[in-house]
Amino acid sequence: MKYAAFFSVVLSLLLGMGCAAHNASMESRDVLSRSVQSPAQVTEKDSVEQQGLTEVDSEFLDDSLDFLDEEDEEIEDGIRIGDPIEPWNKVMFQFNDKLYFWVLKPVARGYRAVVPHVVRNSVKNFFINLTFPARFVNSLLQAKGQNASDELGRFLFNSTVGVLGFWDAAGRFYPNLNPAPEDLGQTLGNYRIGHGFYIVWPILGPSTVRDSVGLIGDSFLNPVTYVEPTTASMGISAYDRVNGLSFRIGDYEALKDAALDPYEAFRDAYIQYRYKKVAE
Amino acid sequence: MKKFLFAAVFLMVMGMINTASAVEPMEAFREPMEKILKLLGDPQYKETNTENLKRQKITIITNGLFDYTEMAKRALARNWRVFTPAQRQEFRDVFADLLENTYYNKVYGEYTNETVTYQKQHKISDVKARVETLIHRETVDIPVKYSMKLSKGVWRVYDVNIEGVSLIKNYRSQFSKILKKNKPEHLIQRLREKTAQFEKKENSEQ
Repeated sequence: MKYAAFFSVVLSLLLGMGCAAHNASMESRDVLSRSVQSPAQVTEKDSVEQQGLTEVDSEFLDDSLDFLDEEDEEIEDGIRIGDPIEPWNKVMFQFNDKLYFWVLKPVARGYRAVVPHVVRNSVKNFFINLTFPARFVNSLLQAKGQNASDELGRFLFNSTVGVLGFWDAAGRFYPNLNPAPEDLGQTLGNYRIGHGFYIVWPILGPSTVRDSVGLIGDSFLNPVTYVEPTTASMGISAYDRVNGLSFRIGDYEALKDAALDPYEAFRDAYIQYRYKKVAE
Repeated sequence: MKKFLFAAVFLMVMGMINTASAVEPMEAFREPMEKILKLLGDPQYKETNTENLKRQKITIITNGLFDYTEMAKRALARNWRVFTPAQRQEFRDVFADLLENTYYNKVYGEYTNETVTYQKQHKISDVKARVETLIHRETVDIPVKYSMKLSKGVWRVYDVNIEGVSLIKNYRSQFSKILKKNKPEHLIQRLREKTAQFEKKENSEQ
């Protein structure tokens, strides 16, 4: 669930940033014309530096970084997190990257081609409904009464009217019944327990010490964990994963392509995302 | 009479400047965004040979919407001071190229009738605001917040935040890591190489 949410962040980053792209393209046209006359440009710029400024260049002479003061120092501290096992993490990041391109993506793509959207969506709803206990308990643990009762209401409605959760009936009839998904990692964060350090797990992806503990705790509240034999349980989880991925093919590539340092980009995105989740 | 006319025109112009700056951040954002969505959904541009025209039109709109220098500055943060003015300008330009090349095909190339709801604006100060939107995509709604700044009478976007993840801060952490061990020139060079890679890829696809 957490992973799914993280992917949705990734996906939304792309949508949001798409807009930024266009501005860039305009600027790049400027660059083009600028680079044509670049020798003259350089000397002109140098003389500008010596003599004073023209209107256009003045923005590049401005040293003030007053925006750093307005940014909440506490947030910055919350986001700063150690990475003592970086060599391991980098190897796992590479491993997951290959796993995605060689296995998960082709499988999800084939699955998407064969299974209709409406079926995939029902499966997605079913798994969301199934993981209700962990979200409910964690809402209670954080004393978020309204959130807990919303979760319960959704679960009861979708399990009955929504036919075992395959149909998100609550989403249809009570669109305001939309509790924020809580997990144990957030609960621990809520109790002021720090992140620990950054860990990239094989298959599961980015996490921290705290969120890993949370993941284990939450798994006890996931009915899928209790399916016997273990291979069947793992198979179901894998299927949930592939089904979820079938909605987001291409998002991982896009964020990776956008990054100059993909490892750092994913690390930072994960930490920022989790920080916000705990804060709200 | 002439003097009076001059005064009248002067006042009118002043009035126009005033109304320009009086535009609410939400409106300053909504109008261009809707134009872009309209262009994206326009079947007229579905054919590949008109793709460039569409791209140009969108570019003109977004150029007015995004404060690119501010984005570059914030992405560098303290490292901005390490860069010379010439390097700053160069950096802004290549950073712009990176964003453009990465996202054009990924996002607008795969546009599937997303719509945007403009939820609310939150004024942080006289010159800072946040506009909250919701992008509706297939089966999910994605909350996207735009940080805007009023400069020279125009509200422009300097950061995009999705579910708590700031685009500019994400780049900031990457850039600061690179600049810890390398000189500004190196970062600019890497951005330039990245752009070259993209253009090569694009050309080979065509």
